[in-house]
Amino acid sequence: MMKVAEAIKELTSTYRSLEEVARGLQVDANEVASALAKAHPESEEFTVLKVLASLNPVAPKAAPQAESND
Amino acid sequence: MALPNKVLPGFSAALYCQPTSSPTPLTTSALSTVASVAAIAVSGNLLPVEAIPAFGQDDAVASFAIAGSRQSDKIPVQAAPTSMTITAAWNPADSQLLLMREDAKSGVIDRTFVISATDGTNIVYYAFNGRVGEFKIDSAPGAEAKCIFSVHPRGNQYGWSNNA
Repeated sequence: MMKVAEAIKELTSTYRSLEEVARGLQVDANEVASALAKAHPESEEFTVLKVLASLNPVAPKAAPQAESND
Repeated sequence: MALPNKVLPGFSAALYCQPTSSPTPLTTSALSTVASVAAIAVSGNLLPVEAIPAFGQDDAVASFAIAGSRQSDKIPVQAAPTSMTITAAWNPADSQLLLMREDAKSGVIDRTFVISATDGTNIVYYAFNGRVGEFKIDSAPGAEAKCIFSVHPRGNQYGWSNNA
């Protein structure tokens, strides 16, 4: 798994398609979502984090299962 | 502020190019970031063109036909940014036009170009990296001298952004 900071560095320095490069980067979806929330909307980091977030959506939390009394 | 939600009038677009003879073109992410693009779209970088040609992506399909089948397939592929042939009034001392002339002479200089489209309030930017592939001067006596040059964008290296 790659760190989000490393992925940002890779994506902000490439001349290839962002989607194409981002597909090859294994990142943690929660880490991406948290970095996106902190990024300035007019920054390059925000641009690449949006691409990463679209490819790595945060999985919805599963509803807690009812305890059984068996 | 929201993006303009109306049909934009003609002649509201302008073309800018990165200055200097050996520019470092913007990366793909910077081409989609308004802060990086707006820094190029300043009056000092304006190209004095007569009109902005159509810009955006070409229609890209690969057509396949298999012997014996009744219909061929049109398979969409990633669309390349469209090439633009641009006409400008020829001012031999205009620094941006001289850059275009030198780029055409070289043929391998990558430069960032920016087109801004505006309704007077908000601006939509289309930025791309390209090389100049043609530079001609038309000095027909019936009108002012014109220069005509073509910009061929590099694949994948374009982006849209706006200041809304």
